[in-house]
Amino acid sequence: MGRLEEKVAFVTAAGGAIAGATARLFAAEGAAVACVDIVEENVKKTASDIEAAGGKAIAIVCDVNDEEAVKAAIDQTVSAFGKLNVVFNAAAFTDPLLPLHELDVDLWRKTFDVNITGMFIVTKYAIPHMLNAGSGSFINISSIYGARAAKKRPAYCSSKGAVRMLSKSVAVDYAEHNIRANSILPGPIETPRLLVANKNMDDVINRHRPHLPAARLGQPEEIAKTAVFLASDESSFMSGNDCFVDGAYNAI
Amino acid sequence: MGRLEGKVAFVTASGGAIAGATARLFGAEGAAVCCVDIVEENVNQTAADINAAGCKAFALTCDVTNDDAVKAAVDKTVTEYGKLDVCFNAAAYSEKRHRLADMPVDMWKSVIDVNLTGMFIVARHVIPQMQAAGGGSIINVSSIYGVVGAKERPAYCAAKGGVRMLSKSIAVDYAVDNIRANSIMPGPIETPRLLARNPSIEAIIERHGPRLHQKRLGKPEEIAQTALFLASDDASFTSGADMVVDAAYTAF
Repeated sequence: MGRLEEKVAFVTAAGGAIAGATARLFAAEGAAVACVDIVEENVKKTASDIEAAGGKAIAIVCDVNDEEAVKAAIDQTVSAFGKLNVVFNAAAFTDPLLPLHELDVDLWRKTFDVNITGMFIVTKYAIPHMLNAGSGSFINISSIYGARAAKKRPAYCSSKGAVRMLSKSVAVDYAEHNIRANSILPGPIETPRLLVANKNMDDVINRHRPHLPAARLGQPEEIAKTAVFLASDESSFMSGNDCFVDGAYNAI
Repeated sequence: MGRLEGKVAFVTASGGAIAGATARLFGAEGAAVCCVDIVEENVNQTAADINAAGCKAFALTCDVTNDDAVKAAVDKTVTEYGKLDVCFNAAAYSEKRHRLADMPVDMWKSVIDVNLTGMFIVARHVIPQMQAAGGGSIINVSSIYGVVGAKERPAYCAAKGGVRMLSKSIAVDYAVDNIRANSIMPGPIETPRLLARNPSIEAIIERHGPRLHQKRLGKPEEIAQTALFLASDDASFTSGADMVVDAAYTAF
């Protein structure tokens, strides 16, 4: 018996490493999963992996910043699986490293559009279905950089701080309807995206010293396992929380 | 296959509601559990319940503020089960309501002794066993009153804030030994101890007002589920974190 049996999940950025691992684990725990991403090839791969493993999934190509497209994606999910219980909001844009006065307003807007306005739009259209279902769980991906600043990433840090408070706002407003909302704040996770910006993983670990006391990066699956806990009824009294999954990064 | 198969857990205050539920869940998930409490009758009952369910446990009577007694209890656990992987630190004591200037020093000291020094003493003896085992997970029960203030409970609030930072300190120092340490901050939980201090559940809910959005108290089992997540390898990159289990109480 899976820990998410009978649940339907909507997972954004499911073509990426963290949300891809999460979509696969949700399905392995029994959920039916709508895999959503802006990159068609990647999200199809995640959905086909799930189906190959005997799980239930559909792939949807969607820009979370496009209100009509999000509405259609959520409607498609409910048409396919009958309801919606869990949303894993992970779509994010990685802005270039720039100090604030050198950051174009357009780049600032783009970061906010994807990282937080996209989350607002997904949440806005998911909530009515959770109200119908009688309960629900939002899991929003913030970052340790939503709690402390990274150098030269003013837009990313601000947007990830906004994610924390969006989760708390949803938690407070919809608690009476049994809808929970929590943020996950990952530390540095070993993803292909992280490798693009760095020579190798040892460089990443060295750059973060002394903040990675275990001297290792996290794995996408470690975020996915936290998401399963938050998606499941095991976390029924947990809402509005900032779940740091950072190998004690933020403790030092 | 249980989620704690092969693990050995040391659970303080397991004669009480929250740690008792945790000990029972740990046992049901495959851990061998050493149930520790200062009250013999209660802790014997918890261990007997676990045994009756076909799981492994034994009871130990121990005052966590007594260094020699804690050392003996940890030694006994290792003698019995061969190692120690998980420690759930829940022994707690709260003063009668006083504002700070009206609080006798002895009352302050007794609260700090049980809530904070006891946790230090337990951690001090379990850590070498976890090092020997190649890793471990320490779960310290703080409180929402380690995050926000409660009226007329200066020692309890200070001690529970101390617990948060004790966890982070352990997380940072022992990450190299693959030992994780996290805090749980429960909101108001329906326990006999809480009921003893209040005329009724309704009175408690009324007193907490709009922050208890669901107009219900948490269940001990909801804390136990969070502890299970933290004790398991699912939380392998989660260390130094504050797991607030309060249905958005402190998000408001």
